[in-house]
Amino acid sequence: MPGEEVLHSRRTLSLRFDIPISRTHEFWDALKAGRLVTTKCTKCGNVTFPPQADCPKCSSGEFEWVDLGTEAKLLTYTQVLITPASFADSDPYIIAIGKLANGLNVLAWLEGIALEAVKPGMAMRLEPRSSKEGNPYYVFVAA
Amino acid sequence: MSRVAIVGIGHSKFGKRTDVNVGELAFESIRQAVDDAGVDKKDIDNVVVGSAGGWYEESLPAVVVDEYAGLSSVGAMRVEAACASGSAAVKAACDSIRGGGADVAMAVGLEKMTEVDTMTSIELIGRAGSYMWEFENYGMTFPAYYALYAVAHMDRFGTTEEDMSRVAVKAHHYGAMNPLAQFQKEITLDKALGSQVVSWPLKLYDACPITDGSAAVILASEETAKKLTDTPIWIKGIGYSSDSANLSRRGDYVGLGATVSAAERAYAAAKISPQSVDVATAHDCFTIAEIMAYEDLGFCKKGEGAKMIREGQTELGGKIPVNLDGGLKAKGHPIGATGVSMAVEITKQLRQEAGSRQASIKNGIGLVHNVGGTGHYAYVTVLARE
Repeated sequence: MPGEEVLHSRRTLSLRFDIPISRTHEFWDALKAGRLVTTKCTKCGNVTFPPQADCPKCSSGEFEWVDLGTEAKLLTYTQVLITPASFADSDPYIIAIGKLANGLNVLAWLEGIALEAVKPGMAMRLEPRSSKEGNPYYVFVAA
Repeated sequence: MSRVAIVGIGHSKFGKRTDVNVGELAFESIRQAVDDAGVDKKDIDNVVVGSAGGWYEESLPAVVVDEYAGLSSVGAMRVEAACASGSAAVKAACDSIRGGGADVAMAVGLEKMTEVDTMTSIELIGRAGSYMWEFENYGMTFPAYYALYAVAHMDRFGTTEEDMSRVAVKAHHYGAMNPLAQFQKEITLDKALGSQVVSWPLKLYDACPITDGSAAVILASEETAKKLTDTPIWIKGIGYSSDSANLSRRGDYVGLGATVSAAERAYAAAKISPQSVDVATAHDCFTIAEIMAYEDLGFCKKGEGAKMIREGQTELGGKIPVNLDGGLKAKGHPIGATGVSMAVEITKQLRQEAGSRQASIKNGIGLVHNVGGTGHYAYVTVLARE
């Protein structure tokens, strides 16, 4: 049919990235050990999440690790039903953004709750998790 | 600052374009724009291609397009500002004239998204944020990003799923009047409300489609523009801004800060207020995005966007008609092409060439609002007859 003729390319391209985490590896190490920490600039005191080695406020590269805190208030959420190709094996998942006591926001899955029960303003808690490949990550659960 | 005008426009058919390759698709628009401007191709000094890329086979679209179009040894580059790449291309082309490096420049918006399968497209768009913190472990999708805004807007202002569906109904109404649109069929409110949930509360009809398409505008210096045409459409002001890659670093989720600051800068540069805009395109990649755009652009107060759509204030004949070309929702959203397509539409409107979709032009001012990502980038361009 006119307009339907395509050359189905023989060449495939598969991309998998090795993402450097050297400068903030303590975040992942702590997460593996069950703790959530983040960076605090030792010069201006700015606390960032996600952690970053260079302060976006004063540009200092000196920082220390502080507890992130785990108690959060739900700001907004969604449930993803049409997932990306690399999440094809996942059941529909709820994603939430929560505000921590220190004022920082975190985006993560909200687990162990039905969509109908999720409400803005509800209390949540961050918990460490590990993927089946052994990669650490964190999720929210209802507090 | 020296004045720059749009003197030629071109626009391909939007949709699933398996009938053309990248070069052929871009040339559909380039040929029309060159003819419309009445310029010789050799008089074009600079070509800026806006394209996000990654879903079609060419890594260097700018030179592939220029070669196909027979534009030899012209200034060339590709620019990326996600879904605002087209507006970034218009700005870069405009700046090259203002800076004296070009007398005539062309901005080409281009995207070919259907050469990979749909799931791969969704994957690539979903990575448009802060990869490590939003995608690697949490599989964000583009609808999911805007769904987070929709839920917050519903919670704060009482905006409803029905309000969002009304935006889709409006888009399809005008899409049905635009022969270049991907979707040219009216839909009912019930059909939109009953469509498949993609990322709650956003449904299939809240979302723009995956689209192939191109658009082109030719810009010229004041002196050359006046020689070329009796109806130059002047670039009165461009405002641009950005926001954090990571959504968790935003202050709230009921509007796009990048749009607010880009709009303020554009209004200041053009020395106008939002009330003097006759017709606009707003970046409706999702229906909630159009509702927030009304507010962030100053067409209404914060929280009153849903009221505007309920009352028909953004329809033809309303207070300020928005997206009379069908918007991203019905016209389609070929990422890099969209900003240029919007400039083409507003140029047509200001030239009074929009036919049955023609808005009433009182002040001679139109506005292009183009967002990249989830408010990661924002460009607001004010165009005018004078």
